[in-house]
Amino acid sequence: MQRLYVHPLPVRIWHLINAIGFVAMLLTGAQIRYIGLVDLMSFRTAVTVHNWIGFVLIGNYFIWLLFYLFTDKIRVYHPELSPTKHFQASFRQLQYYGYGIFKGSPNPHQLSAYDKFNPMQSMMYQVVMFLLVPLLAVTGILLWDVQGFYGAVDFFGGVRVVDTVHVLIFIFFAFFIFLHVYMGSLGHTPTAHYKAMFITGYEEIEEEHAQGGATKQ
Amino acid sequence: MANSRKEKPMRAATFHKNLITAAFAAFLVLFPMTFVTAAAGAADSLSEGDKQCLGCHSFDGLKKDLADGKTLSLHIQGDAFAKSIHGVIGCAVCHAEVDLKTHSQAKKNIASAREYSIAMTKVCSGCHAEALKQNEGSIHAMLLGRGNLSAPVCTDCHGSHAISPKTAYDTCVGCHQTAMGTHQKWLLNAGLHLEVVSCAACHAPTAQRMVDLRLYDGVARKWVAEKEGLPEFEKMARAADADGNGLDALELRKLMGLINRDPAGPQKNLRGRIELRTGVEAHRLSGKISAIKDCASCHQQGAEPFQNVTISIVSADGKPLRYKAQKEVLSSVLSVESLREFYAVGGTRSVLLDILLILAVLAGVSVPIGHQILKRIVKKQLERDAKTGASTKPEDHGRA
Repeated sequence: MQRLYVHPLPVRIWHLINAIGFVAMLLTGAQIRYIGLVDLMSFRTAVTVHNWIGFVLIGNYFIWLLFYLFTDKIRVYHPELSPTKHFQASFRQLQYYGYGIFKGSPNPHQLSAYDKFNPMQSMMYQVVMFLLVPLLAVTGILLWDVQGFYGAVDFFGGVRVVDTVHVLIFIFFAFFIFLHVYMGSLGHTPTAHYKAMFITGYEEIEEEHAQGGATKQ
Repeated sequence: MANSRKEKPMRAATFHKNLITAAFAAFLVLFPMTFVTAAAGAADSLSEGDKQCLGCHSFDGLKKDLADGKTLSLHIQGDAFAKSIHGVIGCAVCHAEVDLKTHSQAKKNIASAREYSIAMTKVCSGCHAEALKQNEGSIHAMLLGRGNLSAPVCTDCHGSHAISPKTAYDTCVGCHQTAMGTHQKWLLNAGLHLEVVSCAACHAPTAQRMVDLRLYDGVARKWVAEKEGLPEFEKMARAADADGNGLDALELRKLMGLINRDPAGPQKNLRGRIELRTGVEAHRLSGKISAIKDCASCHQQGAEPFQNVTISIVSADGKPLRYKAQKEVLSSVLSVESLREFYAVGGTRSVLLDILLILAVLAGVSVPIGHQILKRIVKKQLERDAKTGASTKPEDHGRA
């Protein structure tokens, strides 16, 4: 096994805050929307906590954004511009998760510090980080003070549209969080990716797949 | 004339009391029409008898000395009275005791403006008995009973002559000027709440609430009012509500299409407010300790205020003109455009989005379960293949 440093400290801090924050946002969001069905805390507490954590997560988003904007690590978010190549690679990745992984085939994606996402992750994280999270933040800010942002709320189609978009993204993340947590357990050991993403920053990979980036043996 | 504490104090008169009285008597007899004309801009719609009253009472300096040494303005703004709800019933219905033959010389002894206002509530109860009955148990009536001089009587909230429908907020903040600050201390988005929830909706906790969706012109920034003599709203609502059972979400879209049929004109929206089902119940105000503070009262799906919905417009006389809508319009996905300005988090949530959330969570839980099931199936298959491979290998070898 070779150790490859793919998760720098700012990214690990951002991810840790994001992980805790998103779970809290999903729970308080469910409490706000399903008062009477969910009884974790009072509605008022849920709204207050949701607002505060929301602002923490918006600030946290900028840790992520500034890190990637001002380092060459932004390459991990560069999209594959050839759709044919992208979908062929995605299909290979899907085959791996659906079959190859069970019989011990090697992961078709070769991890490196500048190419840490497989094709499916790459597309997913581009949509999440550049579209869904900003949209969630903007709609959240508008809902935080509908009266103060009346003009913007009206511009986006009214409070009902803004809320519907916010809730649709909430629904997506309610699905995504299960997927994300489970996929994180599919390393060479169930905790390998967790240790790398939350603690060490180093992913352990098979020798034949190691290429580029800072390594430690 | 009942005095309102909200009416502006009159200008100081310089005439001697007796001179004024004599002058009024002369005006009544000799030049009534002069004053009627002066008041006419407003009061054309009033009866001849009312115009005769205004002949004197439109005079800005008219006043009466009270026993407490203060004065009571007897000036009536003809315009405001004519436009008021009471304009149609005229002066004599409330002031039946006035005898025109002796009125100008009458020496009715009034202790104070306050006493007179309290006495006049009996006149109000002649027509508004139910409102007065509701008021009996209210915090206002209780304070009045204790001799609190600030406790309001009918005219303090409704005015004495310029009586018109008012929003509860405008009426209440006349006295409760710190209401916004008080609510901001504990209520999230207090400004928005005070805009979309009438005061009585929380402060009359035993009353029944509803949602009134009123037409609003966002460009002109005012409520849309029916044009005088051209009532269109009800006709359009009836045209949209083909089955006559109240507007459903689709019919509401149709109604909004009819209202905004001119794409070049200012587009009107519906703004929702939580109000009481009847204005009479608004008199049943309780102390603030009993007021509704539980967010679930509105933010829980199926909450009581969302069981009754009306679509309304301000009619030419200032009263709301309402048309029934089905309660499902508040949570229908078809209402995203027609109810773009009204949404209560949790309370009017869409069932379709709830179903989507359930499916999303089920899908999320299914991924690890499904993947682990797939893992077992594939591993068993691989083991079977391995066994088959092991047992067939010698045969193949033999054949070769």
